[in-house]
Amino acid sequence: MSGDVERKLDTLQAIELAEGVEVRLRIAGPILRGGALLLDVLIQWLLIGALTLLFALTVGWVAGGQMSWGVVQLLWFFFSWWYPVFFEAGKWGATPGKKVFGLRVVQVSGSPITFGQAILRNFLRVADGMPFMIGYGVAGLIPTFGIGLATMLATSRFQRLGDLAARTVVIYDRVPAEPLAPSPPALESIPPGVALRPEEIRAVGAFRDRAGLWSEGRRIEIGDHARELTGSAGSAGVTRLMGIARWLQERK
Amino acid sequence: MAAWQEFDQMVTAVEKRQTPPGSHELPRRFREVCADLSLATHRMYRGSTIDRLNALVIRGYKLLYRRRRHAAEGLVRFVGDTFPAAVRADARLFWLCSVLFWLPFFGMLGMAWIDLDWVQAILGPQGMASMEQMYGKDSDSLAAMRDEFGSNFAMFGHYIRNNIGIDFKIFAGGIVAGLGTMFYLVYNGLAIGSAAGYVSYAGNPTAFWTFVVGHSSFELIGMVIAGVAGMKLGMAVLRPGRMTRAKAIGVAAKGALPLILGAAGMTAIAAVIEGFWSAQDFPHAVKYAFGGTMWALHFAYFGLLGRRSA
Repeated sequence: MSGDVERKLDTLQAIELAEGVEVRLRIAGPILRGGALLLDVLIQWLLIGALTLLFALTVGWVAGGQMSWGVVQLLWFFFSWWYPVFFEAGKWGATPGKKVFGLRVVQVSGSPITFGQAILRNFLRVADGMPFMIGYGVAGLIPTFGIGLATMLATSRFQRLGDLAARTVVIYDRVPAEPLAPSPPALESIPPGVALRPEEIRAVGAFRDRAGLWSEGRRIEIGDHARELTGSAGSAGVTRLMGIARWLQERK
Repeated sequence: MAAWQEFDQMVTAVEKRQTPPGSHELPRRFREVCADLSLATHRMYRGSTIDRLNALVIRGYKLLYRRRRHAAEGLVRFVGDTFPAAVRADARLFWLCSVLFWLPFFGMLGMAWIDLDWVQAILGPQGMASMEQMYGKDSDSLAAMRDEFGSNFAMFGHYIRNNIGIDFKIFAGGIVAGLGTMFYLVYNGLAIGSAAGYVSYAGNPTAFWTFVVGHSSFELIGMVIAGVAGMKLGMAVLRPGRMTRAKAIGVAAKGALPLILGAAGMTAIAAVIEGFWSAQDFPHAVKYAFGGTMWALHFAYFGLLGRRSA
């Protein structure tokens, strides 16, 4: 697989830092982000509900219903527009919902986002929410997030319109280590017939490191994809592949 | 290995807001881990090693590149320089958005005398009833309606939520090739113009104009500037120039940021005036003088300030 195709298909994005080193960020997809959004909406409603009750009982009792109604209007304004901005521009880099789902918002360059970027990506959520469904009563217009989803699927880094405008991406805050279970080392080391590219060497190494997780049938199924390299199919191919992996490891 | 573990512990401690011993070495250690990662990647060490270093570098980067802000200084510079300069830099879009709002506004205002049916069609029975109630020929003065203690504050809260929300929607609507922005500007021009026309023709014009004159400059110019911010996004979609559309949107959004923030600030000031000044029972001359001064100050502000960075 050439590097270009890999960049388009893989959710691991290589990003070069100013230190001259490449890190790989795991981009989060729409399902997880949708879940985080729902959780955030729930948290916002609960907070507004609780605070409304609190102000109705305190401010409303002391200063009258009009005063507490005004306070509730301000609450709605701050929670609906500024709640995500302050959390994402803050130290977490994520709203509470995203935090729970293990997500974080970063610049395309990988560094934490600025206040301005947080404003841009969150204010534009209205546009991403289109088209709206007509609801009943309190839920007047329900966003379907059709545009946001379509844009996410059309961009290689799952960016919605707000992300494109603010030049941000949503990533997994900490990528859990993939389970490794190397199979027993091969008995002989076999030099590969052709010179391998770096990503191919990495793939052969990953095959060896994870082979212990798979059944024999699955190992053969995956090993058959490297038939051109090993020159044989079936379990003979797997054995040869393990031999090549050993050779590549010993070479260093 | 020991160095990586120490770096890990140090980063973990700083993440928990502690100050571990030797934390001043963090930048140097970060660069060392970066070098290790480059080396490990170059030599194609096994995946788990690279993943571990990758995670360490990301965490260190996140800590070291956190930024501090100086809020007060930034605000002064924004109000005195950045915001007016940004509006003037997009003067053509400003006039375009002004036309999009004021043309329907004056059109509907004049239409009240030519053919009231148009005005009534836009306001609808509910809108007309509420205009009658507030500014009708035999309505109480607005000050009398706000007799309950705290109702000024209630209206202030309502204006903040409603009007700044409209500004933000005008901005966001711009990303759909400017269509949302144009729709909201024209729609507001029609609606506000109809209300003004209906009251001027069939209601109590003095009650209406003395109420709106104080905050109108902040609110309406703020709305037009939110429109400029939206149209900047729209133009990036329509005419990205030599950039890709995604890149053009990013550049335009960065330029639109001071505009939308300034518009929100102006609308917030409008809400303060509307909540606590406009409905007070002052002499009409005072209200007209205040409103006129505010309009004049706006022209001076956007015409004169921020020449330095332009």
